[in-house]
Formats: sequence, structure tokens, C-alpha cells
Amino acid sequence: MNYSENCYEDQNRNMTAMKNTMTGVNNNNFNKCNYIQQAAPADLYDAYAGFIRGNMFPDLYNQYKISRPFEIEPMNEQAGMLTYVDAYCFGAHDINLYLDTHPNDRAMIELYNQYRIESENALKQYEKKFGPITVDSESTMAFPWDWNNSPWPWENK
Amino acid sequence: MWKYVKKLQYPVNIKKKDPKLAKYILTQYGGPAGELAAAWQYLDQRYTMPDDRGKALLTDIGTEELAHVEIISTMIYQLMDGVTPEELKAAGMGEQYAQFGTDLFPSDSFGNPFNMTYIKLAGDYIANIESNMGAEQRARATYEHLMDLTNDPDVLAPLSFLREREIVHYQRFKELRNYYLEQKEKAGK
Repeated sequence: MNYSENCYEDQNRNMTAMKNTMTGVNNNNFNKCNYIQQAAPADLYDAYAGFIRGNMFPDLYNQYKISRPFEIEPMNEQAGMLTYVDAYCFGAHDINLYLDTHPNDRAMIELYNQYRIESENALKQYEKKFGPITVDSESTMAFPWDWNNSPWPWENK
Repeated sequence: MWKYVKKLQYPVNIKKKDPKLAKYILTQYGGPAGELAAAWQYLDQRYTMPDDRGKALLTDIGTEELAHVEIISTMIYQLMDGVTPEELKAAGMGEQYAQFGTDLFPSDSFGNPFNMTYIKLAGDYIANIESNMGAEQRARATYEHLMDLTNDPDVLAPLSFLREREIVHYQRFKELRNYYLEQKEKAGK
């Protein structure tokens, strides 16, 4: 903690100078050395807002070029249901990485588990209707073998 | 072990073919700051991390990078799917087509094949984690360059997602590095 604070005062002074030389693009906030993350679950984006940003943590979020995050525009019901799976999985995953470096944060462990359960539910609902996304899903009981059905993740037809 | 999940981490639905852009994006597949290099660098480094915190973080970020390899591959595939040899030639992809057709081959944008020496290992966990911080920054910069090269929202959306992930990973690696330095200081080393 101490050594972090030292490096960061210098960095802060430099930041102002740096910002002045950089035009148009705010690329600085993730380089803030003095940024020691203490996440409070209420401060995080919700799963969808975090997912479209690629980041659950508002004070860590940093944009480049685009003026706002891209909304997901599903082509059909299947893609729409998949967006729920995507968003909850993403929320759980981003908190998982946070917990790897903050293993004693009880509130965030609770939030992780909330998203984990939400993602399991969304996954089950999707698989019931559109077939398995994981090969250990109950949807693999279908005949004929349902695992090898389209769409594959890279297909957009 | 790993399990396959039959979906992308972030959806890719590119409607407009653009082989030239595919060529630029190739570098994030098999180039020096690409996802393949990142995945393998972190997964190689995890074996010798000094504690469980490091082993967990490198395993989890390394695994996510494999999912990014799939997103990038999908982008290249969709940008080139159905493009004629003539169009590939015009986009500077003639050599690529001659050797590989439209199969994916990990190279940088110049066509240099993926090279394992991109992977930085030093036998020292602080040096390793700082290499990873550098890798995330270089990848973030590359994504910004790629975003400068297109206006297609179908391409910008996943690029912007991937760029943001570099920022988050950088932060986590930095936290791990700082934690280890503190531990060292406490131990008087």
C-alpha cells in the first residue's frame, strides 16, 4: 500500500501535463497509479451495462473513439436469449478476476454468486429451447444428437 | 482441463465483407501483441507463480484470452467469408489465399507466421507479471489502431469490447504485482 502511494503522487502531477498534450482521446484513467480498487457491489454496472462495456467497474471504465457503448441488437429470439447468458456470464467472470486479487471481499463473493446463479438459469432456459451450449447439458438427451446442431459461434447466417 | 462452451464471450455479427480489414486484424490473432501469444504466455507462467492468488489469476485470464482468440478468429472468418480470390488479391491477401485458401492461419498483418518467441518468460514472477502488464498495454494500443482503421460498427463493437478487457486485465496484473512487492517488502527481501 505504501509503496503504491508514493509512485502515485508523482504520477498525478504528470497526469495533468499528459492530459494537456493528448487531444481528443481520454486514455488516462486506467493508468492512474493511485487507483486502488475497493469495489462496492452497488457501484458496479449491472450485468448488461457491464457486458456492453467489457467492464463491470465504472471507475475503471475507459472509452476510446466511440461516443457510447454499442447496444447488442439480437437478430432473433435465439440471439436475444443468448444475450442474457452472455451478460450474466460476463458479470460473474469479471467479478471472478476481481476476487482472484481480492479474495477476502465478502460482499463481492455474494455478488459473484448472484451472477453465477443468474447465468445458470439463463443458460438452462436457452438450452431448453435451442439446444446445448455445453455438452453436459440435459438437452443432450434429445434424439438425434443435438450437440452438433447450428449455429456455431462463428456463424452469422 | 478445459470445457468448450458453444458461444462467443461477445457476439460477432459482421455483415460487410472487408478482406483488407481482416488482414489488419490478423495481427491480433497471430501477431506479437495478439491473443494467442497472451493466452499462451499466461498459461505457461501460471505453473511457477509463488502462491494461489497468482495461479488463479493467470489461469483465469489465460482462459479468457483463449475466448478472445475465438472472437478474433470469428471476425477474420466473417470478414473473409464468401470473398472471391480476385477481391482477396486486391486487398493484398493473394499470398494468404495461395497458401491457405480462406482457412485461418495465425500470422501478423504482414503474413509473418505466429512465433513462440513472442511469449515472454523470465523465470521470475515479478518480471513475468510486468511482461503481462506490458502485453496488455501493447494489445490495448493495437486495438486502438485497429479502431482507427474502420468505421463499421459491427467491427468496432467487438474491438471496443476486447480493448476494454485489456484495461481490466492490466489492472488485475498490476494489483497482483503490487501485492507481491508488498509481500516481499514485509519479508524484508
